[in-house]
Amino acid sequence: MFVLASTTSGIFIQTMVNGITLGAVYALVALGYTIVYGIVELINFAHGDVFMWSTAITLVVLNSMHVSTAVYGFALIGLLLLMIVIGAVVSGTLNVAIERLAYRPLRKAPRLAPLIAAIGVSFILENIAELWLGASGISYPDFFPNGGIVLGDVTIQYIDLVVVVLTVVLMYGLNVLVKSTKMGKAMRATAQDPEAAALMGVDINQTISFAFLVGGVLAGVAGVFYSLVIPVYAYNVGFELGLIAFTAAVLGGIGNITGAMAGGFLIGIIKALATNYLPNGSDLSDAVVFAILVLVLALRPSGLLGQQVPDKV
Amino acid sequence: MVGKLKALKSMLELQNINTFYGPSHVLQDMTIKVNQGEIVCLLGANAAGKTTTMKTIFGLVKPKEGKVIFKGERLDTLKTDQIIKKGIILSPEGRRVFSRMTVRENLEMGAFMFSSTTQIAEDIDKVYALFPRLKERDKQISGTMSGGEQQMLAIGRALMARPQLLCLDEPSLGLSPILVQTVFDTIRKIRQDGVTIFLVEQNAFMALNNADRGYVLQSGKIILEDTAQNLLKNDTVRAAYLGG
Amino acid sequence: MSASPSHFQQKMQNPLKSLGIRKKIGDFLNNTKFLNRSLSWYVTGWRVGVFWGLIALFLPQLLNFSTNFLDQTYFAPNILLLDAILCGIYVMLALGLNIVVGYAGLLDLGYVAFFVIGSYTVAFATSGIIRNIHSQVVNIPALTFWEAIPLAALIAGFMGVLLGAPTLRLRGDYLAIVTLGFGEIVPIVIKDVPFFYGALGFQVPPAPVVNTPFGQVDFGNPLDFSAFYYLTLAVIILIVMFNILLRNSSIGRAWIAIREDELAASASGVNLVRIKLMAFGLGAAIGGIGGVFNGVMTSSISYDQFSFQVSISVLIMIVLGGIGSIPGVIVGAILLRFIDVYVISTISNMLQTNTALANPSNPFHFLVSFNLNTTKFLIFGLVLLLMIILRPQGIIPNKRRQLELKGVGLAPEELSVIGEIEREEEGSSAPPESVEGLGDI
Repeated sequence: MFVLASTTSGIFIQTMVNGITLGAVYALVALGYTIVYGIVELINFAHGDVFMWSTAITLVVLNSMHVSTAVYGFALIGLLLLMIVIGAVVSGTLNVAIERLAYRPLRKAPRLAPLIAAIGVSFILENIAELWLGASGISYPDFFPNGGIVLGDVTIQYIDLVVVVLTVVLMYGLNVLVKSTKMGKAMRATAQDPEAAALMGVDINQTISFAFLVGGVLAGVAGVFYSLVIPVYAYNVGFELGLIAFTAAVLGGIGNITGAMAGGFLIGIIKALATNYLPNGSDLSDAVVFAILVLVLALRPSGLLGQQVPDKV
Repeated sequence: MVGKLKALKSMLELQNINTFYGPSHVLQDMTIKVNQGEIVCLLGANAAGKTTTMKTIFGLVKPKEGKVIFKGERLDTLKTDQIIKKGIILSPEGRRVFSRMTVRENLEMGAFMFSSTTQIAEDIDKVYALFPRLKERDKQISGTMSGGEQQMLAIGRALMARPQLLCLDEPSLGLSPILVQTVFDTIRKIRQDGVTIFLVEQNAFMALNNADRGYVLQSGKIILEDTAQNLLKNDTVRAAYLGG
Repeated sequence: MSASPSHFQQKMQNPLKSLGIRKKIGDFLNNTKFLNRSLSWYVTGWRVGVFWGLIALFLPQLLNFSTNFLDQTYFAPNILLLDAILCGIYVMLALGLNIVVGYAGLLDLGYVAFFVIGSYTVAFATSGIIRNIHSQVVNIPALTFWEAIPLAALIAGFMGVLLGAPTLRLRGDYLAIVTLGFGEIVPIVIKDVPFFYGALGFQVPPAPVVNTPFGQVDFGNPLDFSAFYYLTLAVIILIVMFNILLRNSSIGRAWIAIREDELAASASGVNLVRIKLMAFGLGAAIGGIGGVFNGVMTSSISYDQFSFQVSISVLIMIVLGGIGSIPGVIVGAILLRFIDVYVISTISNMLQTNTALANPSNPFHFLVSFNLNTTKFLIFGLVLLLMIILRPQGIIPNKRRQLELKGVGLAPEELSVIGEIEREEEGSSAPPESVEGLGDI
């Protein structure tokens, strides 16, 4: 994530490339917010921390495997896939467990209660991570080789390409899952009317668990991607990233899967531009993202792609 | 003759059901019996507990006391998705079609418990034969259809589950008189195909004219139980539900 | 051999078992007399109120008297009084947030922002120093501490309204995340915008000396905090009185109405946004007042004192004590502060100085290095989660809120009717269900 270009236009394009790569990560996390919100109408405040736990566990696994430098060839493909699977399993399981233990008992409680529970869970996850691996940042074993495609003074890192391509593949897979599979249909029906879905024979609890599983898996994969792009682990990375990804979900229209994907890339680009071109940009870009969140909520709460369709006629 | 023999066989029984919402006692000692091949209707004013009765049968509300028995099996201990696998289905009040799905997708949802795509396609064709109007709207997003079309879709969706007992909650609500007639004609057709029907209605005149037997529900209690013909003549029913 | 795995499987396949345990714990917490009768009797009965009131009133004297028989190295009266004042500041915050969360039922996760605003307002106003855009010092006419209090309340309240206005039209979840972001952004802005002295921190002038008919009173004396203690106590009493007045006013009734049934409330002529905004603004204003006391008391403020942890701590105080209950949130604030400042560090000290544990062959030797302070927020998070699942009404429940939180405020049939109408109505105002969702990709 360095801007290596020297010309003005080169810097701009390089910034855009970096933004798109991070945008892919934001999009994957935003999908988790949007899928879960679509089904249970709850902002899963712990989602950012579910993402963080993928970075934490894969960090520990990599360290225990004594991976510290770049690997090549089949070893690289194998290691990358292994980390993606581990991250997906960790975050997927965690997200399902959170729903089962903290949200499900409160499903019929007033809205305030599950929100407070979500905040409590987020706090717990973050503090366990801090207790376990400490409060200071730990460098992530950057096993992906440096280098990339050089176009003029712009370099597209191989890792950028891998992240973006794999993200697009995952999104395509998610589309197929939601649109064509039985579980996907159950999710859509539950999102629209849980009671009517139950009357069709949909197991609501199972469907909700599945939605949390899908959201968690995507966050877990995002955790691995993020760590390879920004190779520093921090116990509180999920808090900020969660807020950014949520903004992406709102920007695209929460509940809308396509919207979350688009919103993620858009926020990634905006944030990269703000980081690069504003004074104190790395801090103030968060303020820019927050301003976007408030503006979207104030001016167009249904998001950019959230077209209004009459729910009842 | 065959119909009469079948009519003796009990299909659905509610035995001394007591359902509560917090402190309020919504269904009080309710006992209802639906026999195979019948059309039975449950009449009652707003907030008498009609929808709660349906929700109790389908496990959306748990009764505090009493049993729901379908073909000898208890339903009140099961979850909604397990209940409908027994062959009993509900077309809920307010239609509740999946408004962001197409007509076909809605019908496919109705067959959610089945996996054979050929069976589902056949059943969709049967529904389309029953409601030609829906066939024209195959690819339309159901939320954009009229109330009458949505009601047809809701009934068709329920039939996709291949039920032995079809429960209908206020199928005539909000429809024009002509459409109400169409809906009841369809209900009778469905019965001819061997499906038992349990119907909740506010439109007592239409319900009693099409049903075999009826129950009258008032403030959570069954106050009358008789054949539809007798209920049509009953003074209380006439005064309360048939406008004199 | 064969029995144990099947038993294990059974356990895994039967989640109801763990549910049963949770229900038992919940029933125990809900029904036991110890919590429902005795504890609330201990803390709320009028005799008890008088007892604790007298202790609060004579705390400085009691602490001074304690030096006759307690070791001053551990029980330094002035330090304990400082703890009491900081605790009092948290009581203010809890009372302020209670208006937002408890009365109006809105979740504010960035309450620390108003605390920051109050602290910096008193810093600028009483020192008379700000910086311009080029980081140059500019002198402005200084206000007194007394003038700074209403000013801070006003500014914080205004910021609250400014933040709330665009978001209060939407569902509560959105307010929660926007406030969460706001709480994060305010410290960043303070750090990076030169005007606020950024990362350098800021010295706050001490509270003033006042001449009264009974002689000079020094509110800022660092050797004797009694005067400032009484000032804090007086402000808390005023805030409590204000809360009671609010609760019993027509606004208070409107809050109950919107909490229980937003639709019916608006149908009966309650202006939802205005009435929510009022709660949000008033809560923010009280947070600002708390910030003034914090600024003066800690004398040196910087951006990093104001973390998300502060917002969450105040929320935990409310949930612990009892959402919407004035005695509840006061007890919650004091209890959490007490655990934070005394219990946790005492246990840590005990572990680290225990001679038996110091022996490496002791199986519990690892506890020597166990610093409970790092697990503090983990414990707090668990308290929050367990309270909201098992005893959502808190230690000292507000009677009305207790019914609502247990979901019996309205019958489900009524609620579901309202829910349906709400869903339809939200089509025009809020994004969630009305947008083309998972259905359209």
